[in-house]
Amino acid sequence: MAATADDTEEHTDASDSNPAPPGRRPGRIATAVSVFGELLITAGLLLALFVVYSLWWTNVIADRKADKQAHQVRDHWAHSTDAGPGALDTKDGIGFLHVPSMRNGEVLVEKGTGTDVLNDGVAGYYTDPVKAALPMTGKTGNFTLAAHRDGHGAKFHNIDKVRMGDPIVFETRDDWYVYKVYSILPETSKYNVKVLSQVPKESGKKRPGHYITLTTCTPVYTSEYRYVVWGELVRVEKVDSKRTPPRELR
Amino acid sequence: MYGWIWRHLPGNVWAKALLSLALVLAVIYILFQYVFPWAEPLLPFNDVTVDNQ
Repeated sequence: MAATADDTEEHTDASDSNPAPPGRRPGRIATAVSVFGELLITAGLLLALFVVYSLWWTNVIADRKADKQAHQVRDHWAHSTDAGPGALDTKDGIGFLHVPSMRNGEVLVEKGTGTDVLNDGVAGYYTDPVKAALPMTGKTGNFTLAAHRDGHGAKFHNIDKVRMGDPIVFETRDDWYVYKVYSILPETSKYNVKVLSQVPKESGKKRPGHYITLTTCTPVYTSEYRYVVWGELVRVEKVDSKRTPPRELR
Repeated sequence: MYGWIWRHLPGNVWAKALLSLALVLAVIYILFQYVFPWAEPLLPFNDVTVDNQ
């Protein structure tokens, strides 16, 4: 008798237009579990979105900014051809880095290695802890650069594709500085500031010379270690009226 | 949580769906524009320089 009554009651409930009658509301525990589940789903979505943000969106933003700044620098160069040599505008950027083996076109080089600089999709030359020796000064020293491996333009993403003997070309308003990679350090501590020395001993050099150092983080997608590539100046070519690139870039 | 939002959105199913979409986009905008740029430097994924800190 009781069972039949129950069945009838359930049947009435199901056909009722009210989806959640007071008597059949999920219990407190069920509610807690479902809220917890939804929080987990939300956390998962949040992390996925963060990955999308850091690996895609920051590149979009940074490339846009870098393009704009690169155009400004090129414009500036085009309109100031008669200024003396050594005339430098360090604010907009001092030149462009071309590394054919990284297959990333030209990378604008600006002053500083803070995130505010590097997040614009450019490479920065060190001012701290060791000041970079700029090639335009003609003095011996180390031209030290950093850029992002992932996100924010990811300008040094393919640093692991750079091999010994590959060219690194730095383009300024008046000159092409052609460097040749002579040493690679695939993993070092992030505190190893010695790699930035004017004479980087870890690369095997003992005498002052014209060196270039590229640093970024490794392994990809993390900042556990630093990847370092060293090059030495091979020659300097004057920029001609058509800006013909040196043969390494052709 | 999501069920609660759905129940409290006005209108029929289509209006609710549209409003939900707008809400999702608004949340993504806030995240990409404000929350992630703030959180990113606090996470150890993008330090590229060597320094003695």
